[in-house]
Amino acid sequence: MHQAFQQDCLEMLAGRLERGEVSRRRFIQAATIMLAGTPFALRSTCADAADKTLVFVNWGGDAIRSYDQAYGQAFLRQSGVTVRQDGSGPTEGAITAQFKSGKPTWDIVDADPFSAISLGKRGMIEPIDYRIVDRSKMRRGFGWDYAASTYFFSYVIVYDTSRFGDRAPAGMADFFDVRKFPGKRSLYKWGAGMWEAALLADGVAPEKLYPLDLQRAHGKIAAFRPHVVSYWGGGADSQQILLSGDASMALIWSTRASVLEKDTNGQLKFTWDQGLISPGAMAVIKNNPAGADTAMNFIASAQDPHKQLIAFELMGQGPANPATDALIPADKKRINPMDPANAARQAVLDMGWYADNYGAALEAYTRLISA
Amino acid sequence: MQRRTRAFTGLFLTAPLLAFLLLAYVLPFLGVVRWSVTLPEPGFSQYRKLATDPLALAVLIRTLRICALVTIAATAAAYAIAYVWVRGTPLQRRLAELCILIPFWISVLTRAFGWLALLSNRGLVNTWLQGLGVLAEPLTLVRNEFGVVVGMTHFLIPFAVFPIASAMQAIDGRVLLAARGLGAARLRIFWRIFVPMTLSGIVGAALIVFVFALGFFVTPAILGGGHSVMVAELVYLHMFQSPDWGLGAAISVALVLVVGLLMGLLFRFARPAGLRASR
Amino acid sequence: MSANRPGAAALATAAVVAAFLLLPLLAVVPISFTPARFLTMPKGSWSLIHYRELIANPDWGRSVLLSLRIGVVSSLIATVLATLFALGIWMARPRLSALLVGFVLLPMIVPPIVSAMTLYFLLTGLSQLTGLVGYDTWLGVVLAHVVMIAPFAVVLILVALAGVDRRIDLAARGFGATVTQRALRVILPNIRFGVLMAGLLAFVLSWEEIGVTLFITSVNAITLPRLMWMGVHDNIDPAIAAVSVVLIALTTIALVGRMMLHRTQA
Repeated sequence: MHQAFQQDCLEMLAGRLERGEVSRRRFIQAATIMLAGTPFALRSTCADAADKTLVFVNWGGDAIRSYDQAYGQAFLRQSGVTVRQDGSGPTEGAITAQFKSGKPTWDIVDADPFSAISLGKRGMIEPIDYRIVDRSKMRRGFGWDYAASTYFFSYVIVYDTSRFGDRAPAGMADFFDVRKFPGKRSLYKWGAGMWEAALLADGVAPEKLYPLDLQRAHGKIAAFRPHVVSYWGGGADSQQILLSGDASMALIWSTRASVLEKDTNGQLKFTWDQGLISPGAMAVIKNNPAGADTAMNFIASAQDPHKQLIAFELMGQGPANPATDALIPADKKRINPMDPANAARQAVLDMGWYADNYGAALEAYTRLISA
Repeated sequence: MQRRTRAFTGLFLTAPLLAFLLLAYVLPFLGVVRWSVTLPEPGFSQYRKLATDPLALAVLIRTLRICALVTIAATAAAYAIAYVWVRGTPLQRRLAELCILIPFWISVLTRAFGWLALLSNRGLVNTWLQGLGVLAEPLTLVRNEFGVVVGMTHFLIPFAVFPIASAMQAIDGRVLLAARGLGAARLRIFWRIFVPMTLSGIVGAALIVFVFALGFFVTPAILGGGHSVMVAELVYLHMFQSPDWGLGAAISVALVLVVGLLMGLLFRFARPAGLRASR
Repeated sequence: MSANRPGAAALATAAVVAAFLLLPLLAVVPISFTPARFLTMPKGSWSLIHYRELIANPDWGRSVLLSLRIGVVSSLIATVLATLFALGIWMARPRLSALLVGFVLLPMIVPPIVSAMTLYFLLTGLSQLTGLVGYDTWLGVVLAHVVMIAPFAVVLILVALAGVDRRIDLAARGFGATVTQRALRVILPNIRFGVLMAGLLAFVLSWEEIGVTLFITSVNAITLPRLMWMGVHDNIDPAIAAVSVVLIALTTIALVGRMMLHRTQA
């Protein structure tokens, strides 16, 4: 049993040597100590390497593999800590449950910044340590107390060119206009971005959106309800509605929109016009198992523009570090939500507003769409 | 004396499951029940909110309506296929078995998207019907309550087959032969003898389908297009999406009470009938 | 005996139901051959990439095995507990049977999301006592599944018991049979099929369980539904359609094989 364990450690070390995570010299050192059988060596090399893990909870799908390739593997090489991806979705309730269990098993969550802010105010989230995480590697206004900007996506209009030919919607007013652009629509089930879309369509200037006039937004959406074929709840769902031809236009995540555009050879197209930029962020659960410092180190390591470039290429996430924009090849700039040319045409969701008002707004929205 | 052994037997046999569920479920569940009267502040405010909330009531009624429809459809369909599975020729039985087992291997998610592909405006079903000239305009078959009922019924038929098949299997074939020997017509034997003898299976199937259906939400959400929120989804909303655990717990407790009441009524009326045939 | 075989009307009705049950195959099989990276019907070209993914990514095979193991163990435990319970209710007919049955059915009626919360807090609590049965362990999942599936097994066995003639038990008692003898020799043989059905139902329920499992596992105990549902927020991997097709093919081969075997034996 003991021997099997040693064997296992050796194999692990050998694997790390192969991947270039430990130097040959260190490998020989460690192997010698291990074979000599000193219990101390066992504890310090193998058990250490095997035990140090960081659980990163994201929303699943492509994110599991992509985050590992972009950030996880590099962090293992850099610090010896294995990052394990859990795709079960860090909803606000799930994070609360983790914290309340008294012994969270999650370290870092790919949370909505507003969730992190409101949970942080209730003491469930570790404040971001800006001595480790570098604020200068973030876009201005996206380094919150309890959440560190990691990526961006947008709610954008996707439209079916087989219905409209050369005509393209120029913004939310066109999205809400079924006479000009006939066909059914699809909206997001959990409200975010939809209020802003309705207000923009109703003529509110992008810079005057906040605080949101919910009554006005809900009035607009209520009148539009007969034209909404579905309220999608996830990325796969939103793609299906457009692919099946059940909707001629939908407001969906830009990460999925760019995949649709590519895979349908442009039959489905999206526009950045009046898109709604939504920031994604990492947050650390209070009393996380790997310790706050390890988690902060991971967040800092994910600020590297080259790593963010990988995440952009694999998932279409707009980079949090503005230095990444320049690394993106010219032919891909079109799908980067934060590319200066694209960002200028969009508005940004105000996470501070969401932190205070999302719960009540969502309840009213749900009431409206399920009436 | 006899009475005491009987009570002892009952205690001895029921204790393991009762004890297990008490420790592993009921006690922790009481913690959740407590939330409904302590979050966000002590008292019955969540229940008051619930009782006066038109959304909660509408959602509850919609859920009960959809679940009732699904229960009727799935139980009837299950009865038809269980009949062949239990009483058919060996070949018919194998084929029925295959049809019952195959859906189990198709993940609920794949099935939901499969239905979308089949039933949407440009889906196979509409294309065929239009190709055959039956329809001029595509029918809206999905992203409405119809789609929800179709998807849920499909999911639940195989589950309803089990209790029905087990009740059918228990029937002594000689009873049916005797009836036939006495000159009873085939249809009459089926409706007057066979069906009543399987009533306990029907009740069991309906119960399983109904409560199972209550807990559904992702499939209905996808197939219903998000228009028809059901209770389970409302609970999800309050537990996870924008947490208000007190309200989520209160809805759950209310649901348990309503369903408990319905089940009590069901047992009161259906159980004696279900057992009479076999006792 | 042929008098009891289903007639033409019954066969026709069953055929309609069978067709309905198999209908999604028309979508699932093509989807599994889509060249796209998301769930969609292939247009024109078909591809095997998602089948290759099943082989290339060991997670799929591993999660199938884990789901099988959890399904077998938890359905066995649940069926045994449920059988004992139902026998106790049937034999002793305690005055409070309705209440006891209601108590046992509770996990079935409570919305699965709330059960998920309940079991989450139970298992994280257990984790602090023992690493064996707890959050994100396979035995923890077994424990949660037993809670969730035992009520269904109870319903099925009670249904089977409803078909048993009480007089045979009375007769056995009259001959002085002990409780164990009555249960094992008299009653159980009569509800064999029902117990089998209960076990099968329990297995299938565990195999498909996601509402609770999603919440009580993280990175270690990844069951097949858990692996599939992780994409529900974002992008669902069409490999899940390929898994279904493979499982269906295996089931069909097994059933057809069994049929052939029976035929050659006969």
